[in-house]
Amino acid sequence: MTQAFLSIRKLRKAFGAFTAVHDVTLDIPKGEFLTFLGPSGSGKSTTLYAIAGFQDPTSGDVLLQGKSLLSIPSHKRNIGMVFQRYTLFPHLSVAENVAFPLRVRRRPDGEVKRKVADMLALVRLENFAERLPAALSGGQQQRVALARALAYDPPILLMDEPLSALDKKLREEIQAEIRRIHRETGVTILYVTHDQEEALHLSDRIALFRSGRIAQIGTGEDLYLRPANEFVAGFIGNSNFLAVEHLETENGAAVVRLADGSIVKGVKAADKLDRGQKARLMVRPEAFHLTGVPGTASLAVEIVDAAFFGDRRRVVARTASGDEIDVRPTSDAADPDGADAGSSRQIFFDPAAAFLFPA
Amino acid sequence: MSVQAQQGIATLRIPEGLGGLLPALILIGLFFVVPVLALLLRSVTDPAPGLQNYAALLGDGTYARVFFNTFLVAAVVTIVTVLVAFPVAWMLAIMPPALASILFGIIILSMWTNLLTRTYAWMVLLQRTGVINRALIGAGIIDQPLPLINNLTGVTIGMVYIMLPFMILPLVGTLRAIDPMTLRAAALCGASPLAAFRRILLPLSLPGIAAGGLMVFVMSLGYFVTPALLGGTSNMMLAEMIAQMIQSMLNWGLGSAAAFILLVVTMALYALQLRLVGSKRAVGGA
Amino acid sequence: MLLDYDRLGWLKVALLGFTALVAAFLLLPVVFIVLLSFGSSRWLAFPPPGWTLKWYQELFADPSWIEAALTSARIATMTAILAVAIALLASFALVRGQFRGREILRGLLLTPMVLPVVVFAIAIYAFFLQLGLGGTTIGFVIAHTVLALPFAIIPIATALEGFDKSIEDAAIVCGASPLQAKLRITLPSIRIGIFSAAIFSFLASWDEVVVAIFMASPTLQTLPVKIWSSLRSDLTPVIAAASSLLVALTLGLMIVTALLRRKLQT
Repeated sequence: MTQAFLSIRKLRKAFGAFTAVHDVTLDIPKGEFLTFLGPSGSGKSTTLYAIAGFQDPTSGDVLLQGKSLLSIPSHKRNIGMVFQRYTLFPHLSVAENVAFPLRVRRRPDGEVKRKVADMLALVRLENFAERLPAALSGGQQQRVALARALAYDPPILLMDEPLSALDKKLREEIQAEIRRIHRETGVTILYVTHDQEEALHLSDRIALFRSGRIAQIGTGEDLYLRPANEFVAGFIGNSNFLAVEHLETENGAAVVRLADGSIVKGVKAADKLDRGQKARLMVRPEAFHLTGVPGTASLAVEIVDAAFFGDRRRVVARTASGDEIDVRPTSDAADPDGADAGSSRQIFFDPAAAFLFPA
Repeated sequence: MSVQAQQGIATLRIPEGLGGLLPALILIGLFFVVPVLALLLRSVTDPAPGLQNYAALLGDGTYARVFFNTFLVAAVVTIVTVLVAFPVAWMLAIMPPALASILFGIIILSMWTNLLTRTYAWMVLLQRTGVINRALIGAGIIDQPLPLINNLTGVTIGMVYIMLPFMILPLVGTLRAIDPMTLRAAALCGASPLAAFRRILLPLSLPGIAAGGLMVFVMSLGYFVTPALLGGTSNMMLAEMIAQMIQSMLNWGLGSAAAFILLVVTMALYALQLRLVGSKRAVGGA
Repeated sequence: MLLDYDRLGWLKVALLGFTALVAAFLLLPVVFIVLLSFGSSRWLAFPPPGWTLKWYQELFADPSWIEAALTSARIATMTAILAVAIALLASFALVRGQFRGREILRGLLLTPMVLPVVVFAIAIYAFFLQLGLGGTTIGFVIAHTVLALPFAIIPIATALEGFDKSIEDAAIVCGASPLQAKLRITLPSIRIGIFSAAIFSFLASWDEVVVAIFMASPTLQTLPVKIWSSLRSDLTPVIAAASSLLVALTLGLMIVTALLRRKLQT
């Protein structure tokens, strides 16, 4: 990694006996789009608030280009932020909202006008300059908030679930807008969301939070294809977990026995496991197939329910050990009617697409 | 319950139309609207038909002075009340609930305590030989007692005391309706606390300040008890003058005319206040 | 950050200090009057040279004080009952009625709250002189009910606005008559509003000075009139004793209100 632009060093935040953030350490290079993803209460917003200066951390440090931010009050940090709720100043017009950070910095009038025009063009709201925020839709308000946060060219832009109050269609529209603006301005963005699709769509890297700690940090592909632990595997995408027994390690991959007694070789394992240890094998629903090819593993199941969805089938199957699993194979002409409810059959998966975690 | 009683109850009902308003309308119509209109009539008929009462009131320097005094006192009281109430309302709006309920308790106790009791206390506190003068002399700050009563100072202190709750309580509502996130956004935009106050917090609370201030001003204009007891003869207010015209001078014509002038001014300002409160709601919805 | 209590820094210290001063200012006269009522100085010296109960003895020895207090209590109770009853009927019409001019009528009923009392006082005084109601209990109750009505309508109408009418309709569907539904479902649901209305209208009459000064006769005077006329002659500590009892009454009312609210809300 290149020299860190923004560094979070062993950041801890405790509210009484409850610790919201446990010693989080992170380095963010300039220009990166990093998303804090996690369920609510996982510490992602608290970390963001410490960077913004809304809350003092209990211990740890936040460094921007090597200098600590903690002793600097919010209004001197020169950080941009877009909030979850609409926080436009209701008594000021759209143009005056965008101009606000420049006016408090006492920039000359001409420069303010030019910059406001640029910013409104950036978020494509040139024609709304004189409106009051109340006369705008939620999506437009968040675009104004974005323009206001970028008007003073802050080195970092914080976004705290900025799309959570919008409906799905608007959300997708503004996601595209945010990607474009990130590309055009090159600003470093720290983005908080609990929506994994949003995180995967937008980010260069994702830091997945769990109970105040980072469970894994990496690209979306890393998290999806190479989850570091069962929590990550379960949180990102859909997963099935099969109860298995670990037999041995062979050529750097694990060999396990499924509940129906069949042996599967060549499975990737996150941790080192002992011989005979109980373990859980993660298989994505779309990694299952209804037809087997050489090298795939097979699993005996009873079909509980099956439906046809064009490009894929959605099948609920029960394994020999009684677990219900979610199976979404591609629709396969070679196996047109083999998945009727109530029938028993074999389904197949590629061991290389499965992950082994300790139980 | 017998069948007849059942039917009796079934036909009895609390009306939800105009009918329910009847008792209230009779009371207000007969014992409020009629007497006030009769008073207005008297101002143009007593002692003889014509506008001579109004001419006398508006043409005479003595009365002009009373009008001026009334507006001056109301204005001073309003300004002081707003300045004192704002910081208190601000803290009340954001302080921990336990602390806020103690402060609310003090405000309610002061507001619900008998008006004469409170005014009496200020008379005793402010008089020449009163506690405040003695304390100041005792501390060596002054050597002659300050004239704190029977003048503008006394009226202002007493009236501000009475008006404070009427300003603080609605302002707390206004301030609580402002999203604290808005102020956080202002800070991150680079606004110092002073700039955030001047450009965001103050403008956003202005509708509440204006509505509350206007209410205090209107109430002060027509106030009788406190100015009569704490004020001096040289700065008499309108309400006291009206009372004197009726009670001591038995000049019903002049008194009615003065009362009607007070009524018109009050109602005009009240209408203005209603419009302000209306516009505040519109902004609050943003 | 200006609205984040924990992030105000030195500003919080300054504002809290100022708020404490204002709280002291609000409390000062109330506390002071109670202390003085137990002080032994006839000229209200403070701190008092000694402590005594003689002002209370003088107060209770004087039948005109007792008489005045009883008169006030009688008038205020009748006013409260009348005002709440009229306000209850009016509120159903104002909140649920569908007729033209509803807002104007609401404004009319609330006007006595805004009009300077002195204007109403001389108007009703002149009117009652002609009707022969001046100086009578009935006259007092009518005048005070006019003044108390807005303070009774506002809390009841507010409570009724917050009550979902479909609950009442559900009771009627269950077989209750419209009156039964109102008595058993609606009125209990808005009882906090009714209770506030009763307290406010009682206080509106109990504390009313201006109308009372004009209407009082030598045979019928309320407590505020008694205090008023005593105040104008001299600042005797007996007034402090009477005032302290009024403060005690206020405190009692506040405590009862707080307890009842807590009980009614759960």
